[in-house]
Amino acid sequence: MKLLEVKDLHVSYADKGRIAVVLDNINLSVDHGSIMGIAGVSGAGKTTLLRTLNLLQRPDSGRVVFDGIDITTISSEKLRILRRRVGVIFQSYNLFRSKTVLRNIAFPLLVGGIAKKEALRKAREIAEELELTHRLNAYPSQLSGGEQQRVSIARAIVTNPKMILLDEPTSALDPVLTSRILRLIRRVNSEHGITVIVVTHDMDVVKRVCDEIAYLEKGKMIFCGPTHDYFSEHYLSITRDEHAAEQLSKAKQLLAKRDRSRLVRLVFWGEATVEPILWRCSSGLDVTINIIYGEIEDFKHGPFGTLLIGASGGDTDLFLDHLSENVYKMEVLDL
Amino acid sequence: MIPEITKATVESLYMIFVSGLLSIAIGMPLGILLYTFSISRRLTSIYRVMDVCVNIFRSIPFIILILLLIPVTRRVSGTIIGPNAAIFNLTVAAVPFFGRLTENALNTLPKGVSDSAQAMGVSYRQFVLMVLVPETLPEHILNASVLLINLVTYTAIAGAVGAGGLGQLAINYGYYRFQWDVVLYSVIILVLISQVIQLLGTRVAKILRK
Repeated sequence: MKLLEVKDLHVSYADKGRIAVVLDNINLSVDHGSIMGIAGVSGAGKTTLLRTLNLLQRPDSGRVVFDGIDITTISSEKLRILRRRVGVIFQSYNLFRSKTVLRNIAFPLLVGGIAKKEALRKAREIAEELELTHRLNAYPSQLSGGEQQRVSIARAIVTNPKMILLDEPTSALDPVLTSRILRLIRRVNSEHGITVIVVTHDMDVVKRVCDEIAYLEKGKMIFCGPTHDYFSEHYLSITRDEHAAEQLSKAKQLLAKRDRSRLVRLVFWGEATVEPILWRCSSGLDVTINIIYGEIEDFKHGPFGTLLIGASGGDTDLFLDHLSENVYKMEVLDL
Repeated sequence: MIPEITKATVESLYMIFVSGLLSIAIGMPLGILLYTFSISRRLTSIYRVMDVCVNIFRSIPFIILILLLIPVTRRVSGTIIGPNAAIFNLTVAAVPFFGRLTENALNTLPKGVSDSAQAMGVSYRQFVLMVLVPETLPEHILNASVLLINLVTYTAIAGAVGAGGLGQLAINYGYYRFQWDVVLYSVIILVLISQVIQLLGTRVAKILRK
């Protein structure tokens, strides 16, 4: 059974007599213990989707099934109890400014009826894990942005929830803090076994932490699946990626001067990424390989490589046959 | 003259603080209800009714309100003159005022903070007692000082119709008997009371504002 399933979700706002559709027929499922990224440009409906997952935003129609329970149909009392098993880390952190760091972290425990002494002990424990021990008695206004965020994460995981929801966790951070927070997210996921759903517009975040990605565009979900599949499809679809499209048109101009060249785009994934595949597939063949552009990125589950090459010579077709069997995805383009 | 002034000062302070406490005790829950109904999806119609009622009470001039309340005051306080009768009138006038001030203060709670409390599964009671009021506490302290200073003025007005206190002293001795020094002393004491209240309010709010 999946931890979370979203079925046929619709959300719209009435705005001055007109109805604005924010989410249109969203279907989504998240495995226990995985990290799912909800990505898309600003205004695509990412945050709204995140808010419907614990019903801070009520959908017009559709179901949100968490741990086998359709939360759109249960009483508000039951929903309240269920929400305690889902931690939320808001984009603006939303700490209680009248409470100290320690009290902020202990708050969800106290709300859940845990005795004060035990709650404070657990809060200290989590604070230590997130390197906040020296700030326990500070108030949120005295903390740096990064510290506030860690308090917000501590507060979300102190109850040992099944799932945490993060809204744009890296949007206000510099690259160093971003790396740190992404490591933390992965650690929370692997060591505490907490399922993570993270909203982000930064595809780098998706690459580095997400097992799966749901990509939204104007309220519709246009992709939902493994991260490497998304990026391989993304790379091969010129319309979506301006960067890749530009690369390609330049390569076409360059290669147009040579006769009978073929332009090939390759996607490598996993182990194969670092193997000498071009050499292996071309050995003994009459083929000239012209490497135009290539890149290897570290994804959560291994290296992901893209490569743009030109190929010419008598055995080009044979070479391409060999190649297609050895790479993750391949596409031959006409010049 | 000194004993009269002292007595009147004590009477004024008594009226201000008793009616102040009562107004806060009743006005604060009223404000919390106003806030709750205003953000609730289903109960906004109740909010509109309460909203209008609060506005009506607040727009009646205090001196007229005292006159209108005479029959009720007689029943509640047993008399229509003296500090205790005035306390009832002052409280009736101040409750809607403080309710509105409280509502405004509660509205300063950022939506996100309220969301994050909801996301943690707080009950209504926990929300009010552990989030809503503590998070806006400095505002409530400032409101209390605004309320008390308003009550200083209102108490003086009530003095005109027999409430006792510094207002009555100033009118009886100063206005009717041309003893302007009494008016002056009364005013000085009233100003001092207001100053002290405001100073304390600002100080405490500043300490609480983290």
